[in-house]
Amino acid sequence: MFKGIKDWLLNLKNEGVEKVPDETKREFLKIGLIITGVFAGGSLFSVISRVAEGLASSEELHKSYPYKPHYSMVFKIDRCIDCELCMEACRKTNHVPDYGWRTMILRRYDESALDQKTMFMPILCNHCNNPPCVRACPTKATYKDKKTGIVRMAYDKCIGCKTCMVACPYNVRYFNEEKHAVDKCDFCWESRLSKGITITACAEACPAGVRIFGDLSDPGSEVYKLVHQLAKPVWVLKPETGAKPNVFYTIS
Amino acid sequence: MRKVKILIGTLILLLSFTGIAFVSEKNKGESVKLEEPQEVIYYESEQFGGPEIVYVKPVRGVLFSHKKHVGELGFPCESCHNSLFEMQALKSQENPDFKMEALYQGKYCGACHNGQAAFASNTKCATCHIGVKGLKEYMRKLASKEKK
Repeated sequence: MFKGIKDWLLNLKNEGVEKVPDETKREFLKIGLIITGVFAGGSLFSVISRVAEGLASSEELHKSYPYKPHYSMVFKIDRCIDCELCMEACRKTNHVPDYGWRTMILRRYDESALDQKTMFMPILCNHCNNPPCVRACPTKATYKDKKTGIVRMAYDKCIGCKTCMVACPYNVRYFNEEKHAVDKCDFCWESRLSKGITITACAEACPAGVRIFGDLSDPGSEVYKLVHQLAKPVWVLKPETGAKPNVFYTIS
Repeated sequence: MRKVKILIGTLILLLSFTGIAFVSEKNKGESVKLEEPQEVIYYESEQFGGPEIVYVKPVRGVLFSHKKHVGELGFPCESCHNSLFEMQALKSQENPDFKMEALYQGKYCGACHNGQAAFASNTKCATCHIGVKGLKEYMRKLASKEKK
């Protein structure tokens, strides 16, 4: 039955495309689109819908608060003036050496920008709900505090392998020579919060009201009000890592 | 003859060592000077009528640019001196009321930066607040100029 097909195909004359009606050309193109759509369309659609969701609401970022209190910090980023009083307060409170840092101000400068050419961005440990550093630590020296969700360090367990420093998507860890362990922000847990003070040293030192610290699981707190609204944009850094950070950025 | 050669050799060695020590000492001094942020009065060019002034009180790193206000925008000296600011640079940062609060009430920069004549003082913070990073840049600029 199939023997004749080869010959029949070879003997077919090229009719050219001039005589083919537009309708038929369109039909043919549609078949191609449908076939490729089955393969690429699915993944494309999922990407698009994800982007739309991510831009429209940050709900995914703060669906549940597994800790009580669920400590969080919100930055009103446009108010930062790089006076670095926060860094100074942090150094004093937590005895951070000159070569390291627990919090830092980044600067973005664009000569071609209209009007304001500089922007400052404070960063610190994001105390992620799904922290890559904790997963990476071979000795469980860094861990997620079961009560408060703060990512803390057990300095005596740290062997100084610095794997956590590589794993951290936010580059907020440094090796402390004196402690011979990796050191990082603990939301001032050891120096202040555990002693009953309710605010971190950096948030207290900020003269411009950039850093707002509080309990994200408490609907009455300022951080809750800043994150649970759609009037102003709220975002986190590097959401694609899936770390689910607890440090949010917004504008005043 | 050999003794003379040895003498000259040791002398050259000694000289080079003291030279290296001197240079490294000099570099050390400079880096120490840069560590503690200090206010800066930096003369960009005489034609702008005044210097670039970086205040450090009450917060570090706030720039007033004569280059911008006189050179680019063309304001005459009288628009600020001596009603709003004295001629002596950095004098106003000694005043206890030299704060954003005073600016909102129309004092100091707030006389123009009120949202009508120029952008309001409670907006575009990082335009004037160049921060410790900006301050250190000006300190470096000043240091390299002084060297020349």
